[in-house]
Amino acid sequence: MRRPVRPPSSRQASPPAPDMRGATSAPRSLGWLLLPVLLVLALFLGSVALLFFHAFWGKDGFSLVYFRQILERADYHEVFLRTVSIAAIVAVASAVLAYPIAWLLWRLPRWRNLLLVIVLVPWLVSLVVRTYGWLVILGPKGFLNETLKWAGVIQSPVPLIFNDLGVVIGLTHVLMPFAVIATLSVLLQIDNRLEEASESLGAGGFETWRRVVLPLSLPGVFTGLSITFLTSMGAIVTPILLGGIRQKMAGTQIYQEVVYNFNMSKASTWAICLLLLSGLGLALLRAAEAALVPKADR
Amino acid sequence: MNAPLVRLGRAASFALLLFLPAPIVVIGATSFAAAGYLKFPPGELSLRWYAEAATDPRWIEAFITSLGIAAVVAVLVTVIAFAGAYACHRLKPRWLAAFELAVMSPLFFPHAALGVALVNVLAMAGYLGTATGIVVAHVVCTLPFAWRPIVVALQRIDSEIVEAASLLGADERRIALGIALPLARSGLVTALLFSFIISFDEVTVTMFLTGPQVTTLPVQIYAFIQENASPVLAAISTATVVVTLVVVMLLERLIGLEFFVAHDPA
Repeated sequence: MRRPVRPPSSRQASPPAPDMRGATSAPRSLGWLLLPVLLVLALFLGSVALLFFHAFWGKDGFSLVYFRQILERADYHEVFLRTVSIAAIVAVASAVLAYPIAWLLWRLPRWRNLLLVIVLVPWLVSLVVRTYGWLVILGPKGFLNETLKWAGVIQSPVPLIFNDLGVVIGLTHVLMPFAVIATLSVLLQIDNRLEEASESLGAGGFETWRRVVLPLSLPGVFTGLSITFLTSMGAIVTPILLGGIRQKMAGTQIYQEVVYNFNMSKASTWAICLLLLSGLGLALLRAAEAALVPKADR
Repeated sequence: MNAPLVRLGRAASFALLLFLPAPIVVIGATSFAAAGYLKFPPGELSLRWYAEAATDPRWIEAFITSLGIAAVVAVLVTVIAFAGAYACHRLKPRWLAAFELAVMSPLFFPHAALGVALVNVLAMAGYLGTATGIVVAHVVCTLPFAWRPIVVALQRIDSEIVEAASLLGADERRIALGIALPLARSGLVTALLFSFIISFDEVTVTMFLTGPQVTTLPVQIYAFIQENASPVLAAISTATVVVTLVVVMLLERLIGLEFFVAHDPA
């Protein structure tokens, strides 16, 4: 190990401190170190408070006009319904598709680092870049359509984007790495001896997976479901680029209200509704997890 | 279980794994295609899109802005998180669980809602459309990601070392900077690189905050896709992928990637 870095202040600090109290009783003055974090938290909580303020307080004082609008307008119901349905489909699709990848990484410990890079790099690359990639692949003159045409499979391009299908494909791909990581981190917790025990008791590989590994990995699957659901609920870029302007989701509507209409009251109201729906979704997932996963595993 | 079935399962899983980098690979291939679009079989290769990107001041400016913002955010958020996590680690306040929940709370916000919330507060302070505003927003968004690796690293420090140092007369400042800081460096490096890359590639929240004066690379890519999907975008996108890849490889070399799949001890 390298020698500890000497702080610039060590010269003044070198004479022994007079008191010999144990390190366990840290002085209260350390509390000042919390100040920067508290400032960031205050900023965040302040922004949330402003969100509520703007939602309930318009130009003419207290008002529920935008909440009422959301309750009354059928086209808005459709937007929220589409948002929740797409988020649910994306969450399930990413969890299902991510599971085998996580299983593969778990099963190949020697290759895990390399394979992990293949998962992490797409995850960390900007989602606008990944969405652009899907545009290049799935577009009417994209790679897939052109290749299929070249191969003589189709005559005219298949509409793969500018519809809900494009949004689901794009979001699922963007969010899958989250689900892989969540599932893998739980798989890695499983005690090897449990599998050995199951196999020595005569269960086959699939049977062991179904009855031992799968139940134990469910908490990771649920973490993945929660993250991907939440993130799809608030997505903007992928729905706009792959869904087109008419396939609105809550996030795209909010973005439009802020950037083009400068209507912060309406945007804040929508944001609060989005928060509520996301919270509801997470609560349902929690309840499902509680019902499916035995208590000792949580 | 019979071996062919296992092999089939592995092959299928591997195919799914390769699906993850697929769009990035496609963009990379497109960026070298002279025709400007990807076709099969591939056509002539060329670097013209890179040349075009490198001579366009708009892209250079956005690239430098993004790197600068990411660097400032990474340093700021790592310092803030280390200070806070260290104080929590030493003081072990009774309200620690609630406090950590508050630190993590931005994670529970859908990005669209987070964007509106931050627009509200930054507009009130007059920082909308400025680099400072974007830095502040990114610090809020990346704090949870910087916090966790630092907390984990601090928990790994042998408390006897701290006690010994204290008995030998090291004051609090020396314990923090001379002992905890170097011993927690794996967490600090992870926090630094992780928050750098999140800030560099962030688009959903940032697109609420950019203005005519300042824009980041991902937001500009988004704007250009909507205007005209020129193949220059493929070259620019490949450049951001390279930045991300470099940071991930750096993280792998310096610390290892176990952090991402390590179970949260908290």
